[in-house]
Amino acid sequence: MSITASGFVNSTSRQNRVTLRKTLISCLALFAALLLSIVLMSLIGSEALPVRDSLCALATFGASSCGLSQDQFDILFQIRLPRILLAAAVGGSLATAGAGYQALLRNPLAEPYLLGISNGAAVGTMIALVFFGTNEWTRPLLAFTGALVATLAVYRLARGRAGATPERLILAGVIVTTFLSSVIVFVTTLMDATRIRSFTFWLLGDLSGSSKTLLPVAITIAVAGTLALTLNARSLNLLMLGERDAFDLGVEVGRVRVVVFVVASLLVGSSVAASGSVGYVGLVVPHLARLSLGSDNRISIPAAALLGALFVIVADTIARTIIAPRELPVGAITALIGAPLFIYLLKRA
Amino acid sequence: MLSRNFRASAIHAVSILACALLLAGTLACTHSTSSQQSPEGPVRRELTDDAGRRVSVPVPTNRVISLAPNLTEIVFAIGAGDRLVGRTTYCDFPAEAKAVAAVGDTLQPSLERIISLQPQVVLISTSSQLEVFTKQLQNQNIAVFVTDPRDLDGVFRSIEQIGLILGHTQQAEQLIQNLRDRTRAVEEAVKGRPPVRVFYQLSAEPLYTAGHDAFVTDLMRRAGAMSVTADVPGAWPKYSNESALAAQPEAIILPTGGSMGAANSTVTEALAKSSAARQGRVYKINDDHLTRPGPRSVDGLEAMARALHPEAFKQ
Repeated sequence: MSITASGFVNSTSRQNRVTLRKTLISCLALFAALLLSIVLMSLIGSEALPVRDSLCALATFGASSCGLSQDQFDILFQIRLPRILLAAAVGGSLATAGAGYQALLRNPLAEPYLLGISNGAAVGTMIALVFFGTNEWTRPLLAFTGALVATLAVYRLARGRAGATPERLILAGVIVTTFLSSVIVFVTTLMDATRIRSFTFWLLGDLSGSSKTLLPVAITIAVAGTLALTLNARSLNLLMLGERDAFDLGVEVGRVRVVVFVVASLLVGSSVAASGSVGYVGLVVPHLARLSLGSDNRISIPAAALLGALFVIVADTIARTIIAPRELPVGAITALIGAPLFIYLLKRA
Repeated sequence: MLSRNFRASAIHAVSILACALLLAGTLACTHSTSSQQSPEGPVRRELTDDAGRRVSVPVPTNRVISLAPNLTEIVFAIGAGDRLVGRTTYCDFPAEAKAVAAVGDTLQPSLERIISLQPQVVLISTSSQLEVFTKQLQNQNIAVFVTDPRDLDGVFRSIEQIGLILGHTQQAEQLIQNLRDRTRAVEEAVKGRPPVRVFYQLSAEPLYTAGHDAFVTDLMRRAGAMSVTADVPGAWPKYSNESALAAQPEAIILPTGGSMGAANSTVTEALAKSSAARQGRVYKINDDHLTRPGPRSVDGLEAMARALHPEAFKQ
């Protein structure tokens, strides 16, 4: 991804109007695709449901069972749909966070998973699970704290005299990731033997425990976080020229940095608390969005959010059906799709 | 060779007879044994373990280490607890076991501590780390014996083998007889009653259950239950929430209250509205009795049968 200075600085009001229209059109198209995938993927599962009746029940938002049996109705509305919505929230959150980090740090490889920020959130969630087991609200809260601490650690480590070079940033991410992985191994070893199995599965990213408490939290944070970063997209565009240039052009660099760090940590924290560490979403999806729609953050951030939601919904449908009635962790699927896709995108770009 | 075998068989007439009686039919084939009386050392005996390896062990073994809680329970149940010089941190039953030196947990035992305890035999239940582990112990002249019961008959076989190794064949035989009698009593009681369709919830979030290879699947069958996940490949598969609900189990078994403590004491959200849960057919059974293939497995068998078929046990 190369960012040309002229594209941002010389944007006239006329071009802006085009961008706004382009943004609206592409986002509406992606939103329609997202809705369509939610409906289609809720027809697919380890148990076969009658398609016509399911569509009818979905069309009434569950007001009518349309001839579905009680069990079938529960499968559709209590199990499948909440899981798909959680997949959308997690995908949207991670992709938006990735797009935010990439713009702010001017680094195409900045991603919550690679920078160790997901691991920071995982450690926070673990602390919540061990010490406040029953209180689900503590999980996103401590995950957010963990993500924020990891973000600041990586940022501090990466900042040398010459600023945060891409190489330094990735190295700092590797250090934080491995350190926090050791913390996770240490705590799981101390933990009750019976809980380790479920925990290692969760660490790879698992959407099956879509909790009724955390789902609304995850959706709210995903939407609010995407809006917050989109509203700062103009400043992020200017920041991609370099902090000094951005400052000269009137961007409050410090404020934008705080906003991105806090919002991205919130996004990562809420998705890790609900589903563990799902990798590659924050890396692949923003790249895909920029390659297809251009690197203007006003369009690439909301587009990445919608594409991310779509990506994780599809990945999780594969995870829950490919060896049904057994299941795979969704993180394994996102990595299996994400890594080759990323290599392809790099080669093409 | 033949005469030597014959002589050795005479020395061990009692044990061989007991062994032959217990291992009717095919089982005996897996236990082809040969003993050798070397001029200077103790009697050694070659046994085939559950990994199919031929292992030469001293008979009787005086210093043994167990790397699994079920094997520790067997050693104590046949009255050979005084021979146990090492155990894992999971081995918490019977209470006397806790006085024995701990050598780490089942998957990460400390090789140094094992060697320093100078065992003659190490009993293990998993062959996953066998290669490196066995090689290192064999260099120290320590035999590694794998015993990995997959069903109740496997438990009886393990008891019999451990009895043989520790020279407690008589106690082992008595224990097996007692366990067999109790098992038969349960099977008689539930005989002819329609099997109850059961979902076994190993953990709720994420949902794990007992698959085809799990020990408890055999135990459920004997208790007059039919596990709805009996044909799922593997021992402990991660299971689909919707498939669990769609299977419409008549009862749900929650292994909890033993080593698990209070964990896994509630039904997973997906099954909370299932008819089994609505009708209160959710049974909490001590997880140690269900997940440790040992003498207490029969307690688990009895508990499940009584929970699922209460009318069969009315006196």
